[in-house]
Amino acid sequence: MSVLEVKGLTKSYNGLLAADHIFFTLEEGTATALIGPNGSGKTTTLSMIAGLLKETEGTIKRDFKSGVGFLPQYPHFFPWLTALEFTEMAAKISGVDGKKARQQSVRALEFVGLGSTVNKKTGAFSGGMKQRLGLAQAIVHQPKLLLLDEPVSSLDPTGRREIMNLLKSLQKDTTILYSTHILNDAEEMTDQLLFLKQGKLVEQGSLAEVKSRYAEPKIRLRFETEAAAAAFEERMLWQMRRQRNVIDLPLSENGPTMQQVLEALAHNGNGISGVDRQTASLEEIFHKVVGAK
Amino acid sequence: MNQFGVLLKKEWRENVRNYKLFWIPTVFILLGILEPVTNYFLPQILDSVGNLPEGAVFKFPIPMPEQIIAAIMGQYQFVGLLIIALAYMGTIAGERRSGTATLLYARPLSFSAYFISKWIIASVIALLSVWLGFLAGYYYTYLLFGSVDLMGLVQFMASYSLWILLVVSIVMVSSAMMPNAGLAAAVSLGVIFISQLVDSLLGAYWPVSPMKLPAYAAAWLETAPDLGDFWWSVGVTIVLIALLIVLGIFLSRKRAATTKV
Repeated sequence: MSVLEVKGLTKSYNGLLAADHIFFTLEEGTATALIGPNGSGKTTTLSMIAGLLKETEGTIKRDFKSGVGFLPQYPHFFPWLTALEFTEMAAKISGVDGKKARQQSVRALEFVGLGSTVNKKTGAFSGGMKQRLGLAQAIVHQPKLLLLDEPVSSLDPTGRREIMNLLKSLQKDTTILYSTHILNDAEEMTDQLLFLKQGKLVEQGSLAEVKSRYAEPKIRLRFETEAAAAAFEERMLWQMRRQRNVIDLPLSENGPTMQQVLEALAHNGNGISGVDRQTASLEEIFHKVVGAK
Repeated sequence: MNQFGVLLKKEWRENVRNYKLFWIPTVFILLGILEPVTNYFLPQILDSVGNLPEGAVFKFPIPMPEQIIAAIMGQYQFVGLLIIALAYMGTIAGERRSGTATLLYARPLSFSAYFISKWIIASVIALLSVWLGFLAGYYYTYLLFGSVDLMGLVQFMASYSLWILLVVSIVMVSSAMMPNAGLAAAVSLGVIFISQLVDSLLGAYWPVSPMKLPAYAAAWLETAPDLGDFWWSVGVTIVLIALLIVLGIFLSRKRAATTKV
């Protein structure tokens, strides 16, 4: 069942398109990464879905009311409220009442690791604590859809790991759409990738689908010496790329199969030290798709 | 608790915890006390700081208690309005600019509840400040100059309170309209002071005006204003406040997209 359907979503600022006819669907319980360089329209797209920005064109169809949690890249809180007061207020504004709002707030704060600081004013929070509190306020009303704008980009590696683990545990009950430029995170927690470039959705699909389109699989041969690699290159007639002691053989229709390569190595592979089957990393695909250097 | 109650509580907490509930009334009380005390001790003050020639003698007419109360209002008309504008200029514009509004706007927020809760708390604190200021001023006026007719004082304060509500409404609408707190203060003070200036220069042609409320309020201390003009001005002011609230709600919603994400 789809939780969100975005059709032709467009946002124009004085004729400049920040989002240009974007179409995609989110299925229930999936995690989708919105990937693109700075200024590609990720925040604009999330803001429109969150209801913060009015779209110039297109439609956003959600099958529920008020079930969206939103975490901006740099969440700002009223510094004179405590974490519990803020989260409880957020829950009540989202329609959770009375005692339930208090219970859910305590639970959300404990979930993000702020259980011991519920009565601390948010003005005294560090960047990492604010990010956690941001996540707590986004999930406190148990939304079906969670929108996260660069949820871990401002955190140190430990904080990033912890937040990513929290998000993965949320994925069971919540559909997550998050923007990121940290591609390792996208690779780790994603059912669908959406690549944005200059406001346009230029590629989408599951990690496996995108990889199969751009992966360009190859066999990488590593020799002990450069001379051994050069000797192998001379003897073989296949198309290959050599860089010092490393040779890449593209796995294409016209190229050799793995078995043929292994047989060739058995006869002519003096000095071979390693054989790997490789595909392009998400970072390489990112550069290919959005053209970023 | 419904959204309105939740937001009202949030505004109250904000005003208590950033001490607006305490410092704004304190400033108004000080202004209220300062006027009768300064007037009473004016000869001594001039004598000690005036650097006057030996033997110089000034004769000051003793002001009437009603004149002292009206003079307190004169202080509020400049310094008081400035304080109200500066205290509440960022109430909406500041929240949007700092990004604190983003986490509210991303929820199914009722902008009516959002604006009205802010308007009510700002009004309560402004009125409380003005009333406490006048009462403190009245007490010292009574001690130093004599008593003022209490009924007249109540009518004066009630009429002036309506003017204060209008000022609060203008400040709140400016805050909803402008992109930052500084512009909101400039626009609201500009509107208030320019309207007052125009009314004082050309106001003889229109006896019914919200800008005349302070003058009509002061008239209650003497005898009474022209009742017809007074009540019409009260009616127009109430309608104007209601329109400003509607405009404030509309602008809060319309400008929500300018919040920092």
